[in-house]
Amino acid sequence: MKLGSGYLFRGLNGSQLERLTASTRNVDVDSGEVICREGEEADAIYLLSSGAVELVTMVNSHIELPVSIVREPGQMFGSSALIEPHLYTLTAKCESAGNILAVDRHALQEYMSEDHEVGLAIMTNLATYLLSRLKESRQELKIHFKTLLRSFRA
Amino acid sequence: MGDQNQIRVENRGGLSILDITGDVTSASEPFFSEAYKHPDVDGVGKIVLKFDEGAYINSGGIAVLIQLLAESRRTAQKVGITGLSEHFKKIFHMVGITRFADIYASMDEALQAME
Repeated sequence: MKLGSGYLFRGLNGSQLERLTASTRNVDVDSGEVICREGEEADAIYLLSSGAVELVTMVNSHIELPVSIVREPGQMFGSSALIEPHLYTLTAKCESAGNILAVDRHALQEYMSEDHEVGLAIMTNLATYLLSRLKESRQELKIHFKTLLRSFRA
Repeated sequence: MGDQNQIRVENRGGLSILDITGDVTSASEPFFSEAYKHPDVDGVGKIVLKFDEGAYINSGGIAVLIQLLAESRRTAQKVGITGLSEHFKKIFHMVGITRFADIYASMDEALQAME
């Protein structure tokens, strides 16, 4: 799996991607394995090579809410690593055994500081992605709001 | 996740089957809303939601289902669900959806219990 297939690295040229590849490691993951946990320090960003990973959030100690499934090679998760306070905002659990590429957060940040063109491209891609997630969350909120309003009117 | 659904509506006497293809997310709301207004569903006493076994239902999809279940409760329609993976059966139980809809292991079981 090549890094350039991940949304975060769109627009980077061959040599930029090559430099980033040096900061990645291949990780085999087994079904049921927790790759990263919500609230923990985020020291890597992940790109799926094979298998499937589910992203969930804890509502309380009993309820775990499904947020997304990552099952297409090249899909990424853990991008909150790039934003302060550098904590994972979701838990990633391996749903189907496979392989992921882990990009070291510190090495990535260092490169982004060194090469502002790379930094701008990555942060622009991240902003676009987060905006789409925000729209999705707002849509979800509107659905809950409509249900609540109807229940008051009933 | 895919944002397109196909919902095929089938009527079997007093029971309507919503055959749902694809992942269910907040983007599924218009598809469910349209299916719910279908003449074969509107006013029918019993509804079966049939999901793809491999379908993923995220928190937005759960919001859409809660909306549908709230509406069906208001109109006194009985809802059954089938086609869920074990994972989602557990989640539906955790979030309380099973208090408003029965989950069945197969379509045959749903039809037998609801017809």
